[in-house]
Amino acid sequence: MIFDGEKERRPLDETFDYVIVGSGAAGATAARILVDTGAQIAIVEEGPAVTTVEFGDRVFPAFRRMMRGMGAQLARGRASIPVIQGSCLGGTTVVNSAIVWRIPDDVWEPWKTEYGLGDALPLEALHQHWDQIERELSVRPVPTGNLGENNRLMEVAANRLGVSATPIRRNEIDCRGSARCSLGCPYGAKQSMLVTYLPYASERGAVLFTSARVDKVILDKHRAVGVSGYFHVPQYQRNIAPFTLRARKGVIIAASAIQTPGLLAKSGVRSSHLGEHFQGHPGVALAGIFDHEVNMWFGATQGYESDHHRSDRFKIETLSMPPELMFARLRGVGREWVAAMAQSRNMALWAVALRAYAHGSVHPGFFGTDIRFDFTPQDMINLRKGLRFTAELLFAAGAREVITGIHGMPERLTNPEQARLLETGPDDPACYLFALTHLFGTARMSVRPSEGVVGTDFCVHGTKGFYVIDSSIFPTNLGVNPQHPIMGVAMHAAQQIVRRDG
Amino acid sequence: MLSQQARVVLDTLLPSEAHPTLRSGIFDTDFDAFWLDVERTALPAWRWGFHAAVWAANWIAPLLIHSWPPLDRRDRQTRERALAAMEKSRIYFLRQMMGLLKTIVCFGYGADPNVRDAIGYPRQTDKPRPQELR
Repeated sequence: MIFDGEKERRPLDETFDYVIVGSGAAGATAARILVDTGAQIAIVEEGPAVTTVEFGDRVFPAFRRMMRGMGAQLARGRASIPVIQGSCLGGTTVVNSAIVWRIPDDVWEPWKTEYGLGDALPLEALHQHWDQIERELSVRPVPTGNLGENNRLMEVAANRLGVSATPIRRNEIDCRGSARCSLGCPYGAKQSMLVTYLPYASERGAVLFTSARVDKVILDKHRAVGVSGYFHVPQYQRNIAPFTLRARKGVIIAASAIQTPGLLAKSGVRSSHLGEHFQGHPGVALAGIFDHEVNMWFGATQGYESDHHRSDRFKIETLSMPPELMFARLRGVGREWVAAMAQSRNMALWAVALRAYAHGSVHPGFFGTDIRFDFTPQDMINLRKGLRFTAELLFAAGAREVITGIHGMPERLTNPEQARLLETGPDDPACYLFALTHLFGTARMSVRPSEGVVGTDFCVHGTKGFYVIDSSIFPTNLGVNPQHPIMGVAMHAAQQIVRRDG
Repeated sequence: MLSQQARVVLDTLLPSEAHPTLRSGIFDTDFDAFWLDVERTALPAWRWGFHAAVWAANWIAPLLIHSWPPLDRRDRQTRERALAAMEKSRIYFLRQMMGLLKTIVCFGYGADPNVRDAIGYPRQTDKPRPQELR
């Protein structure tokens, strides 16, 4: 059952066993486990319910309805960087590219040895959860017939250069290669939470509250006993009616690394680590111009990747953008700009995703959430190395030009030797067109309260029944796409909560 | 409603008949309807950002090429040079303003069916699957 807050006019006060805040990868996975125990569940989503039939092919209506801040949420620092987050039923799983990775061993080992989380997040159990999720979400590598030319060209490049690259594993059934993942899959092929675990939970009695913003977790003597907030119109941020949802057993926060620390702070949680240690995977894209048509709008949105330089903390991914976003990143004015746009059908777009060392912060600010993020010098070195590698791949695939889009660099590289220029490019982040995705660490898990916000029982230190299970508890970033790691950890957390609460 | 100065800036960015395969200029598309939609439904920050960017394009960009503002009193060639200078400026804020302006312009322009046809972007023709969620 869906309770649409945009249509509500009266205050509401109801009681459940568990109240889950957030309907994305973490919240929906927790709901999927908890409903199987017969528990009464409320899932509270700040964004609206947008169904598959509403997904279109234009960016503005999609961003307006499904993206936080209509796509204009920014991290501040030496560069202003868009922070991409879905804000709708199903969260970012509705607008991501369905990429599936497990937590790599070189990430988990420090979690165990440096942070002491080996028992809280046992790798063997996580692998069992990932097995289950991959079965239930139909995870498979992109079939050859669905690659499209943008993705296929990376395979060509990797073979020519002798570097490792593979088709991306994704959660999808019968993908038609419309390359519209970022606007919501119009065919319901992407197995986002919207079409998988949320319907599963709903059919078993969970109540979904949408357009319902939680402002505070209600605590009674350090025990979480409910949440309060407002039904609202997310698009206009206009309040409609207050609600209180009470929890007999616990409140589970799965609101993301951006929203969770603010909610905890408003609820009275005090920790010097709250909102700190913010990490992510900033990315920069390069476009290659080919003599033949690439038509990046056919095939998987992101279908091929190279993890060849994992030790250098970057990964290369193919990427398809709708025309609106593709045009906006091209340089020029007048005829020059239009001429660049006209080359779109011959363009391949590949991006460097950086596992940044940078630690930023997320705190309440005057104009909303204040996100700070500044790169370390080593991050910029790794980025430039990644850009050089990407340009080399594009040239190896047959590109006749590479469009850099970097301030202070030639706009177009015209031969493979020029790829090395990218490695000596500007070290000022403001010269690059970044986007920041995959967000971690703002309420990190720790054995001791002095080192983090959330304990190894997934409970906020010093509280009872006040659980946090999203990527804000991750002590580091991953270097891989986080949906699957988040779901594995959330599934494990939900099972631990069930075991504890009987 | 777009101001006259905004119209001149946008027309300089995306003129008609600028390329043999992509002939539409910004005002060959239904950009006015798009902008009306933005004014009615977008967050205030979007609108303020757009107006700030148009103001910077009109009053600051000409100065970058040693020409007197406002931009709309200059010929097309001068206007193009001024906006190109703003895009390549050493001042990050000006580059950001141009980036914002181009982004909002492209949200309207890139969604136009004729523009999409010109670059081979497929139309959404298949019926969506029914959603299972109740």
